[in-house]
Amino acid sequence: MELSDWELVRKCQSGEMSAFQELASRYHQKVFMVILGLLRNRDDAMEVAQETFLRAYRKIGGFQGGSSFYTWLYRIAVNLAIDAQRRQKRNPLDFRENMDDLLESQDEVARDPFAEVHDRELRENMIKAINDLTPEHKAVIVLRTIEGLSYKDIGEILGCSEGTVMSRLHYARKKLHDKLSSFL
Amino acid sequence: MNECERIEQSMERWLDGELGAAESEVVRSHVDSCANCGAVQQRLVKLERALGNVLAAAAPRIEFAPFWSELERRIDEKTPWHKDLRERIHGWFAVPRTAWAVPALIVLLIAVLSYDSYLPFWRSRNNSATVVSIDAYGRSVALLREDESKTTVIWLYQNQEGDDEAAEETPQPGPAF
Repeated sequence: MELSDWELVRKCQSGEMSAFQELASRYHQKVFMVILGLLRNRDDAMEVAQETFLRAYRKIGGFQGGSSFYTWLYRIAVNLAIDAQRRQKRNPLDFRENMDDLLESQDEVARDPFAEVHDRELRENMIKAINDLTPEHKAVIVLRTIEGLSYKDIGEILGCSEGTVMSRLHYARKKLHDKLSSFL
Repeated sequence: MNECERIEQSMERWLDGELGAAESEVVRSHVDSCANCGAVQQRLVKLERALGNVLAAAAPRIEFAPFWSELERRIDEKTPWHKDLRERIHGWFAVPRTAWAVPALIVLLIAVLSYDSYLPFWRSRNNSATVVSIDAYGRSVALLREDESKTTVIWLYQNQEGDDEAAEETPQPGPAF
């Protein structure tokens, strides 16, 4: 029978490395996707994902189960990713290269030439619009869109109220819609 | 506020699955019957779909084995004491960042406003004369504070029209404190 996250956490707290390995195998992909959504750079996202699990391992002894394990883990990931994003913002050249790299990788699955042009323009503009959002607004969009988390869980991860999550989502979507209205 | 505006306010929460069953039903039936709100819903759905595609499409599958072996290496690696200390300090100050600004500002404000209480040498040099009261005869009194124990009282006689030499020779009694 598969153990719950909390049971694995208790095993980690008593020193079982294999339990932490199991938790990492459950969440490494999701954590990576959330971080990639915030950073848009695979190497940086991988580095932050590694750092997230390293910190989780070091701090798991103090985890009391006040929130679910994944919200606790995502909180670490989002905080590290937001810090990394602030550093990334200071280096626009890197960002430009990463975005081109990302767009090229998506073009590998192109179909109809007209649809391809439209999709490419939409993606290009979408990525620009997402990157124009503040880290906090981007975080709510990523957690909601990629992970489909509830307002309550997003609030726990970001350390804010459900009302704040709702208003940030509304603002972020409005911003994105204003910039992408001609493509939608 | 009309019905459409009310529905529009609940639309995102409805699409995000954050409304209760009864509220959801109200929004759903309105959207089904209102072309404008239906268009708003379509717009939001399209945006969400496009967002999902862009955010998720580029995420590659991460193989767990190399991820774990790298993580295990980092776990086994001993952290230098200065890096550990830096992380701890960063942790204290980084989250939540803005929360530190308010108490810091208050402390700074108190320090600035009460600096002379903490800097006696500054206070002794900072003599100031202030008019503290006007007595019943229309005269002002100035106090020159030199330090905590020494205060000089200065009577300020106003040169009013009609005052003459005689008046100056027979001064009025001083103000009573």
